[in-house]
Formats: sequence, C-alpha cells, structure tokens
Amino acid sequence: MGRSIVITSGKGGVGKTTTTANLGAAIAQLGMSVVLIDADIGLRNLDVVMGLENRIVYHVVDVVQRKCAVQKALIKDRRLDNLWLLPASQTDDKDAVTPDDMRKLVGELKAAHDYVLIDCPAGIEQGFKNAIAGADEAVVVATPEVSSIRDADRVVGLLAAQDIPTRLIVNRISAHMVKKGDMLSQADVIEILALELIGAVPLDEHVVASTNKGMPAVLEGKSSAAREFTRIARRVVGLDTDAERETGGGWFSRIGRALGFSSATAA
Amino acid sequence: MWNMFRGKPSSREVAKGRLHLVLAHDRVGLEGGKLQEMRREIAAVISRYVPIDLDAVEVQIETKSRATELRVSSPLPARGGG
Repeated sequence: MGRSIVITSGKGGVGKTTTTANLGAAIAQLGMSVVLIDADIGLRNLDVVMGLENRIVYHVVDVVQRKCAVQKALIKDRRLDNLWLLPASQTDDKDAVTPDDMRKLVGELKAAHDYVLIDCPAGIEQGFKNAIAGADEAVVVATPEVSSIRDADRVVGLLAAQDIPTRLIVNRISAHMVKKGDMLSQADVIEILALELIGAVPLDEHVVASTNKGMPAVLEGKSSAAREFTRIARRVVGLDTDAERETGGGWFSRIGRALGFSSATAA
Repeated sequence: MWNMFRGKPSSREVAKGRLHLVLAHDRVGLEGGKLQEMRREIAAVISRYVPIDLDAVEVQIETKSRATELRVSSPLPARGGG
C-alpha cells in the first residue's frame, strides 16, 4: 500500500506546486511509482508546471463523477517510467468534490502506486479540506517570510487537529540574505513552527526557467534547487536515514525567559 | 528585547520578534481588545483579595515550541501595608 502526502502551505505562491512536481519527479527517479494529484480545482497549475497541459483529456472531477475510470484520467509523464498526473478541472469549483470523494480516490491510487502526492490549493476552506482528506501525512511549504510563516502556522494547527503528521520544507531561502540579516534562516523557521525539517530549497533562477519550459527542475538535474529536491526525495522515501534532523525546541523562548524578557505580549 | 543583539536589530531579528507575538495571538485566538478586557477582569479579581495597583497587573501570552501559556503577574503589597 502506498503513502499519500499532501503538499500544503496556507499562503499562495510559496512553491507548493513546484514542490509537488519536483518532489514527485525526484521520487519517481528513485524508482518508485508516483501519482501527482492537482487538488486546486478551478485554478489548476500542476499540469502547466509539469508541461503536460496539452495532454489533459479527463480530470479529477470526471473521475469523482464517474464519467471515467481513474486510469483513463491519469496522464503518464513520458520523461520517466513511473510518474503520472491526475489533473484538476479548470471549469468547476472546489465544491465539485467532497472530502469523502478524495479519500476514496486517494485510497484507490494508493493501492496501485508507491506514492500519491496531493497538490493542495492555497487557503483553508473547502479546497484545503478536500486535499487533506486522503492524506496520510503532510508537508508544509513555507518561505522565510512573515506572511508565509504566519499562514503556515495556522495550517499546521489545522493538520494537527486532524492528526496528520506534518513536516516542513523551507523554500526560496537565500544564504546571502540570511547572512546579511535580511532574511529569516531555516533554523528560525523551524524554531517558530516547531516542525521537523525535511529540506531547505534555495532561491534558484533555474526553477523559473524550467517552469517556463514545463520541465521540472529535477529532470534537468543541474541546479541547486534540483539537488535539494532530490535530497528531500531521498529523505521522504527513507534512503537517507542518517540525515541531520532539525527540530524546533523552543530555544528562543527558553533563553528569553531566562534573561527576563520573553516572546510575549504584555497587556 | 534587543539587548541580546549588538546595535540596531536586523530585519531578520525584527521579523522573528514580530512573528512570536503575532503567532502567540493567532494560536490563542485572543485579539488585542479581548486581552485588555481579560487583564482588567483578572486585576479586579485579584484586588478583591489583596489591595493592588490595578494598572501594574500584567498579562502575557507566551509560546514555547507549539505550546502556549498565559502568564499573569502582579506586584503585591508588603505584608501589613496597604
């Protein structure tokens, strides 16, 4: 039985779709059978990021409404042996599918594949609830920015309420900006969100260029972002068990209280 | 808060501090106004037992990893005093 992982963030535009595409491709490159589901009904993008937009015949709503079997809707990526995309509908909205529909669909796909990655839409409404419904685990994508972290925190709370084990990817980190003091570090983000980090993807122009071409960066292989996605894939499938594990431990808050100030609000 | 860091805090340090405050509120769901109300009521309760300076009562929300705590502090009068 495969594993289903939802890639979510709360905030839009932080790299969920890019992460789903690249992590999915990287896991497929390791030999696993992977299905990517675009759960952003009405605003689909996984198809275009994967470069598969011209091959859509059926989509997730067709499957849920039983207009076709799921196999007919799956688009096989021709660049790899074992990667498929189940695209979203572009004309329906988030109510076209229910959490139960998603649970059944993901269950069916898990029975036939090693990994099902669900690209979650931004927000915390119906689209989010649908996307997490079939997930065994979650990966939260956050950029090292105030608004992204705030939204991620909310999402982490919602996932915890559903008992979905959650880990973190920090995206678009710039070592240069962190050094200058202009950007939160990955350690800062881990400490604030108190999640296990599975990877920190660097800000990389290659990602923009490869998306332009509809080619996930890991398929081109050479960029620093691609290398990190591959590293994350190895972590996810369990190939790198001795990888350094970073978890939040409330260091800042403990130090704060010892020194007589705290990350607190006084009323 | 800035005595921990040399000189003017970087934007990164400012962001960290702001996030801790914002998330403390977000996680508990208490907006600024409600926190003030709670503080006033707590101060009133304490003053029923011990004469205190109502304005000196402090109510703080702290986050530690994902746990959140409410801290109340109030200076109490010396014994025998008023």
